[in-house]
Amino acid sequence: MATFHLGLSTSGHDPALAIVDARGRVVFAEATERFLQDKRAWGIAPDHVTHLLAALAAVGFERGRDRLEVATSWATVKADLPVQMSDTLLPATEALWLRGLQASLQASAGASLLRLELAREMPAVRRYDHHLCHAVAACVFAPVEDAACLVIDGEGEVGAVSLFDLRERTIRRRWRSWGPGSLGTLYAWITKLCGFDWRLGEEWKVMGLAAYGTVVPELRDAMVSMMEVDRGRLRYAPAETLERARSLIERHARAADAPVMDAADLAASGQAAYAALAERVLAACDDGQTENLILSGGCALNSSFNGTIAGCSEFRRIFVPPAPADDGNAIGAAILSWMHSTESTRIPGCDGSPFLGSTPSPGTMGRLGHFGSCGKVTDIGGDAPGQIARRLADGRIIGVMRERAEFGPRSLGNRAILADPRDPAMKDRINRAVKGREPYRPFAPVIAEADVDAWFERVQSSPYMSFTLPWRPQRRSLVPAVVHEDGTGRLQTVSPGSAPWMHALTQEFGKLTGVPIVLNTSFNIMGKPIVHSVEDAVSVFMTTGLDALLVGDLLIEK
Amino acid sequence: MTTSREAELLEFLRTQIAQRTQLAQGDIQADAPLGDLGLQSIDAVLMCGDVEDRFGIEMDPAAVFEHDTLNSFAQYVLQQMQA
Repeated sequence: MATFHLGLSTSGHDPALAIVDARGRVVFAEATERFLQDKRAWGIAPDHVTHLLAALAAVGFERGRDRLEVATSWATVKADLPVQMSDTLLPATEALWLRGLQASLQASAGASLLRLELAREMPAVRRYDHHLCHAVAACVFAPVEDAACLVIDGEGEVGAVSLFDLRERTIRRRWRSWGPGSLGTLYAWITKLCGFDWRLGEEWKVMGLAAYGTVVPELRDAMVSMMEVDRGRLRYAPAETLERARSLIERHARAADAPVMDAADLAASGQAAYAALAERVLAACDDGQTENLILSGGCALNSSFNGTIAGCSEFRRIFVPPAPADDGNAIGAAILSWMHSTESTRIPGCDGSPFLGSTPSPGTMGRLGHFGSCGKVTDIGGDAPGQIARRLADGRIIGVMRERAEFGPRSLGNRAILADPRDPAMKDRINRAVKGREPYRPFAPVIAEADVDAWFERVQSSPYMSFTLPWRPQRRSLVPAVVHEDGTGRLQTVSPGSAPWMHALTQEFGKLTGVPIVLNTSFNIMGKPIVHSVEDAVSVFMTTGLDALLVGDLLIEK
Repeated sequence: MTTSREAELLEFLRTQIAQRTQLAQGDIQADAPLGDLGLQSIDAVLMCGDVEDRFGIEMDPAAVFEHDTLNSFAQYVLQQMQA
């Protein structure tokens, strides 16, 4: 008999499940949106019956022999606190909606065990502090004994920022902020003013657009004035200050039908305000004890800012986990449940692999030979990186689905669309033929750890695409498809140990072209999650301008 | 008997409530519901945070609604301090 721990992300947005085995290893983690192919999967139970069933099968859970503990990523129900905790900048309707979703998922968590006949009554669910879940999940992926662990989020149990100390892998909260002050909410509000929709996760667009704008000091300062940072804790400024700033900033809002570039200065100013405030929070976290910073929470997806932390704070080594937003909390809840059962105070580590999701179904892969009638099917096992590199160098755009899916928002090579970064027209080609994305959003480069220094400034490891760094100026013209407007790139670094296939691909591509860098964007079309099943991958392949599809070692070419 | 810790806490809470309600400290009745004193629910939550920071204890944000007078809230906080 073995006890597995099922962690559920119960925020109401970005539900996910994670499974930790009896030895404290994260053996499975996957966002519900992937399984359902429904972006952000609003309000869907993270223990969605068929998804849970597939996950249990993947980890070898055996009914009748094994046990399942259930844990959620919130200790409390947000709706028990006054709505003023969440409606300062966003409309009360949105706050009420989110609170309703969270309350219902907190209540129903674990009910699927009844349906699956794994429990005879509603399971006793373990519930953990939201930011503690963020922090613990992040610590699992950070290979250090000691660190400051900062969570900057949209919301929390009582506030939007928490600081923890990790000492010899034991975690303890140092402080948390109380009340509605939130950098995540401020950024969501700026997203709205730029004419985008935070509910669609369009904060990315603000970050992408910021590179095209110029910071307007008056706008930036007004945004900064909306927040007070008191020893790291965030609070909104007094009502009259807030109103003055809002009315000034809202005059610059972009109407939905106005050109996107009209919002570029607003986006640049918003990003600058975020950075200024986050720097103040970081300054309050340094107590001289450690140079290691583990950063998590939804705001840890701000890769532009993340790339500057080592230069603007006392911290020298920055760790951001592969899923810092609420999906990642499923891992935190499952690990905390395991620590509870085993009376362990040490947070277990892992091998760093973000590849914790489903594998392509062998049955469906076996049927791909049928494609022979409408395309060319080749088994390229043995030399897949070399074969793919050659086709990329010939200008092919290739969808790749290999082994286990990545956990977190980024494609890290296993559910990826790959292309040649040297072609200045490649960005437009991918957007026109496949992604349908806006032209101002950048594509990301993959590069071997050993090559980073030759291509980037402010070198640091970025295995999960968490950091945006400046390209060396003389290199930029060699890889135009992955250089953003401001000369930066949100890189993924790979090594033979961490991502052997992608590492081999960059090296093969380098041998052919002199540029050991591959363009990597997530395998999806705009508005849809990253592909989950082989069928999803095939349908994207057939309905877009992708030139080829690699599933496992089977290459299908049009 | 009032201990010095308890006195310090009561003084702190009276100051917090006075600041947030604009009442004079002398007008804060120990057994009056905080809502009746004009303390907004969001301010009650923020006060929990100030107690957490000041006294180094973990506060449950819902506690102030379950213990909704100065006296009963103070008793709750004292229990947390001793836990």
